[in-house]
Amino acid sequence: MTRRLSIALTLIALAPLTSACSGIGPSPWEKDLMAKPEMQVDSYAVLAAAEDHVYFSREASSGGRGFAGGGCGCN
Amino acid sequence: MRVARTGEDYRVSFAAMATPCEICVQTEDRALAGQLGRAAQQEALRIEHKFSRYRGDSVVGRINASGKDGLLVDAETGALLDFAEECHKASDGLFDVTSGVLRRAWQFDGSDRLPDRARIAALMPLVGWSKVRWRRPRLRLLPGMEIDFGGLAKEYAVDLVLRLLTSITGEPVLVNFGGDLRVSGPRKGNAPWHVAIESVDKAGTAAGMIQLLSGALATSGDARRFLMHGGVRYGHILDPRTGWPVEDPPRSVTVAAETCVEAGMTATLAILRGPGAEIFLKEEGARAWCIR
Amino acid sequence: MQLKTRRRGRVRKRIAKLSAGLLAASLAGQSRDAAAQYDTGSNDNFGPGIAYSQLDAALLIYQEPGGRVSATEPTLDLSVHGADGRELSLGFVADAVSGATPNGAVPSTLPQNFVTPLKAVGSTATLTSASGGSTIIHLPPTPGQLAQAALGRQYTVAADTLPVDKGFRDHRGAFNFGWAQPLGEITEVGFGGGYSRETDYQAITSNAHITQNLNSNNTTFSLSLNGELDSSFPFGGIPTPLTVMNAQWKSPTSRDKTQLGFVAGWTEVMTRWWLTQLNYAFDAQSGYQNDPYRVISVVDPASGQPNSSLYESRPEKRQSQSLFWDNKIDLDPAVTELSFRYYTDSWGIRSKTAEISENVPLGQSFYLEPSGRWYQQSAANFFHYFLVGSQPLPQYASSDFRLGAFTGITYGAKIGYHINGRSEFYLKGEYYTQMGNRHPADAFGQLKQQDLFAGTNAAVIFAGYTWDFH
Repeated sequence: MTRRLSIALTLIALAPLTSACSGIGPSPWEKDLMAKPEMQVDSYAVLAAAEDHVYFSREASSGGRGFAGGGCGCN
Repeated sequence: MRVARTGEDYRVSFAAMATPCEICVQTEDRALAGQLGRAAQQEALRIEHKFSRYRGDSVVGRINASGKDGLLVDAETGALLDFAEECHKASDGLFDVTSGVLRRAWQFDGSDRLPDRARIAALMPLVGWSKVRWRRPRLRLLPGMEIDFGGLAKEYAVDLVLRLLTSITGEPVLVNFGGDLRVSGPRKGNAPWHVAIESVDKAGTAAGMIQLLSGALATSGDARRFLMHGGVRYGHILDPRTGWPVEDPPRSVTVAAETCVEAGMTATLAILRGPGAEIFLKEEGARAWCIR
Repeated sequence: MQLKTRRRGRVRKRIAKLSAGLLAASLAGQSRDAAAQYDTGSNDNFGPGIAYSQLDAALLIYQEPGGRVSATEPTLDLSVHGADGRELSLGFVADAVSGATPNGAVPSTLPQNFVTPLKAVGSTATLTSASGGSTIIHLPPTPGQLAQAALGRQYTVAADTLPVDKGFRDHRGAFNFGWAQPLGEITEVGFGGGYSRETDYQAITSNAHITQNLNSNNTTFSLSLNGELDSSFPFGGIPTPLTVMNAQWKSPTSRDKTQLGFVAGWTEVMTRWWLTQLNYAFDAQSGYQNDPYRVISVVDPASGQPNSSLYESRPEKRQSQSLFWDNKIDLDPAVTELSFRYYTDSWGIRSKTAEISENVPLGQSFYLEPSGRWYQQSAANFFHYFLVGSQPLPQYASSDFRLGAFTGITYGAKIGYHINGRSEFYLKGEYYTQMGNRHPADAFGQLKQQDLFAGTNAAVIFAGYTWDFH
């Protein structure tokens, strides 16, 4: 229960940052670093999928980045 | 970014590419002016940051730091390199984007300090488009060579920004980046835009007035960057074949053309011909204004 | 002063043509929204408005020690990006798995026999040695059972060893496809599907998603829906849960499971060097959840010796939720990734995951990326290491170690080489450890001296190659 509460608080604390008015966050010309492949969340999708498959076949939890479920009979 | 009302227009001004930039839109809508200004500023800064030779992480920075295998460039950079190559051929070698290394010898600060010849001679082996291996998308330079889009970037930015703004609004707009400008079309009621050409000797005063219904204007000249030595004025446009400033060019050339890139390139080619500038412009049928 | 139009000279004509060409080349790149120029979603130096393709090939080699599971899995992914933001992706996976897998029974101080149906029903089986260590047995037909099941496979497990079935071998092939494109004011919509098939299992997957960028592309909201239909058709048919393990051919021959879920995500560029992503996922499954090959031992209440093995039983319904928080932080020169996940489901399983990796460039072309992962899960509420003979059978019971409580720590290191601006080769090695309670408190009799945790470590190698081209 405590854990769920702390997660909810984290969400509330981050909520103001989701406002859609422009001016929050870096300006477009300040986003040079974001173009690096290491800074993208999906640059190594094939590797991530293979790792997820391994974890899915050894653990009860699944999902996180994408959707849960494996599409294979390994769990 | 500042927004101000002048007559029937809103003028949005900001700084980019080390130049005062201005967007002028004939409208009652202040919010639109702000939106256009922000869009223009973003695009101008994008181009500045992408092609700036002062930033290690810009495309030009990476080109200039690339090793013997060169590097693969994206489509936009590739298009600019193709353009630079064609202009090099069209100008019989006068226009050369590899001449940027010469700035290591030349500082055009209005003083009388000329570089010594040995310095220039040492840099000349690094100048020359013929030494570049360019085959889309791979660019290979000799070690020490550099690409400098400085002679193109401002005009290119004006054209891209204008097209961007006309896709946002149908109101008459004028994009002016430090004297290189372009209009979307005539003002309301088919009235022309009035553009003053700056005097070369007295900054801020007008030497003439042009009425523009469409197209672009670009000005090339030494009004602000020059060296004065022994009574001789050395303009900042360097002849890539000698490493020295072009001899006896007009002090200022303003060309009108359909696009800012075309106007800018025509003006640059005129200046590079030194004493033959006016004849070149006349033979080519260019709409131009020279000041000697 | 009005400037008059005059006839164009040769050079001017050429310059005019070249200028028009230059500006047209960047025409495809501009879109109505200037902010779209800074789309951080696509990682490419080709620039906006350029069509290109990306090919990703990878090979995974997985190995557990001591003759347990090993697997080889090659994958191939192709994505084709159109000039206008449209994207088609195709993927293919194949895997070959073999080795010994725990059957769910507890070890004993005495040897144990286990019987399973033979692959081929009603035929004179030519038993290849693929079953490793088992023998064909002839079973007397049980009244009421089909006479076909005259043959079975029996294997013996030595004393004091974890019972594993060595005859485990399977191949799988799968493909998936996806389509994504901008739609009007919406940044991206897409859908996709996939099909996976192995000897005893089939899965059909489908998904749809919608993504919206806001705030100069600093904020991205996404919602994806996914559905799956799985069919399990194990050797020997579907066993009735909590019945005694036997070699009879069972019915039904197959059972299905459906799954429906969604993931809601928020990605934000917080500062120039910090990107964060928060995903909430919900999933509901309904149908056949059992592992048809797994049993649970029923032990003697006095000695703790296993007397029989019953097929496991899991609830048909399972709902789960998870919260995933990922961060990418660029602190020159290394890029750090830090992520956390909290998972909970209706089977009583709760898990926490934390991962960290550091991407360190070495010179111009190489990089090294060490990584670590800590994972802890609690047991499902129907997980039991064993059942006691004197107690009434529960409705659900499984001794599958993957549903039990354990901690898993992964140590990894990846090295990559940028061959040129658009190709890369990488190699990653990982070592997974699984630590569970080997001697649960309720073990008694001979069970107290046995190691009851069936989890194991594993070593994995991934090799991959990425290639972007026009």
